[in-house]
Amino acid sequence: MKLLPALGAATALFIFGLGTASAQACKSPVPDSALVKKGTLTMSVNPTLPPMQFVDQTGALKGMRVELGEAIAKRLCLTPEYVRIEFSAMIPGLQAGRWDVINTGIFYTEERAKMMQMLQYENQAISISTTKGNPLKIAKPDDLSGKSIGVEIGGFEERKARELDKQLTDKGMKGMTIRTFENFAMAFQALRAGQVEVALSIDSTATEYQKRGDFDRVLSGLFPTPVAIASRNKELADAMAKVLNDMKADGSFQKLFDQYGVKPIDGAVTVKGPAAG
Amino acid sequence: MGQGWNWSGFADYLFNPYILSGALTTLWLTLAAIAGGMVVGGALALARLSGRKWLAIPAHFYIWVFRGTPLLVQLIIIFTGLPQLGLKLSVIESALLGLILNEAAYLAEIVRGGIQSVPAGQTAAAKAMGFSNAQTMRYIVVPQAMRLIIPTLGNSINGLLKTTSVTSVISMEELLRRTQVLIQEKFMVLELFAVAAIYYLLMTTVWDLIQRRIEQHYGRAYGHGSAPTKVADPALEQR
Repeated sequence: MKLLPALGAATALFIFGLGTASAQACKSPVPDSALVKKGTLTMSVNPTLPPMQFVDQTGALKGMRVELGEAIAKRLCLTPEYVRIEFSAMIPGLQAGRWDVINTGIFYTEERAKMMQMLQYENQAISISTTKGNPLKIAKPDDLSGKSIGVEIGGFEERKARELDKQLTDKGMKGMTIRTFENFAMAFQALRAGQVEVALSIDSTATEYQKRGDFDRVLSGLFPTPVAIASRNKELADAMAKVLNDMKADGSFQKLFDQYGVKPIDGAVTVKGPAAG
Repeated sequence: MGQGWNWSGFADYLFNPYILSGALTTLWLTLAAIAGGMVVGGALALARLSGRKWLAIPAHFYIWVFRGTPLLVQLIIIFTGLPQLGLKLSVIESALLGLILNEAAYLAEIVRGGIQSVPAGQTAAAKAMGFSNAQTMRYIVVPQAMRLIIPTLGNSINGLLKTTSVTSVISMEELLRRTQVLIQEKFMVLELFAVAAIYYLLMTTVWDLIQRRIEQHYGRAYGHGSAPTKVADPALEQR
């Protein structure tokens, strides 16, 4: 036997052996057919809601949802990959198979649960923010009458803004002028510029902006609804539910939530969605 | 999980008043932007061509800035940046201002190109006949320049009809934004955007027909209404 080819073959076998050994150490319970990209957990996120999902000055993705996504991917032996995109494009994109998971704190609604697998994991609610000092003295939802409100287009928040408006007009009061923007960053920018008088977002974000001294959170806890992580494929959803329940059991779930001051959902994480998928 | 094409959904959206009013908004935004753009752009073109440096240089600078930066950036600066300096314009004011200032820069160049392409012999002959500068412009240069300006101007208007969609970024409720808002209803993305496309196509096609008529009007001295192929009177032509 020639020495060089023998050495070459031995090295190749050795590396191959190492490779299969490490793959066996972490084999994903999710089959490749359930994923958009092999070995990867592709998640869509809209990083405009600090501290849940945002980008820092270097453009790096940060926030609780990002950390949760990384944890889930790690436990599923998959590589996490994020697609940054506006919320309004996420549901069509999920249905079109552009990503596996919507990891942007999508609010749970029965209507949405008919289209995708949803795992409720966190309790959220709607908040109203104003510029520092609350110059308009907003203290209750009725004070929103006749005000201009900025909100991100296409989501639960926009729908609730319209509901708030309807609540006012049903009472015979003047409604709000609803201005829709591509994302929350633009809506808050408009608030800062005085182009809208209030901005609507989620409790966690309004609290964060208040903490930073950027905006005041004047109303909160409106329309309390759980938020979820959503996927199209049921096998993936079941696997993620197991991971989340494992995290609940070993305490890492609560730890993450405490770190960000958010309320986790009570009880076990279950999958709600269409039967086949 | 493909839903396929939903014909009844498409038909509903086609005659949806919410979308129709968005289309009308797109239309009047375009008309206002063109009207304003032509006034400002025409003035800019003349300033640019003027021998007086105090007119020509600022005009050139304006055109350089507004052609050199994206409309999107201009709109965001006007809407959320100017308030920092104390000037707060409403959504409609910001949208119109952005569109007009931006379009004016492009129209100025189109007009300038048209005017400069009229042979120098025409201006020389007019001067020889005792026309003043203003009279030369009005009776000799501009009518001939129009034949060259109209097709490019028409193209610009066609583009502007669609460019108005950019104003959705500052929450302007035009056709695109209205279409986006309705996606949340039943997620019929394909049907909704097909409807939007049809409305845009309708408007641009109507404009194309109008443009053709205008071209024919200005081209009547030359036998047919398309782009000029030769100068009217060879005797006046200068090399």
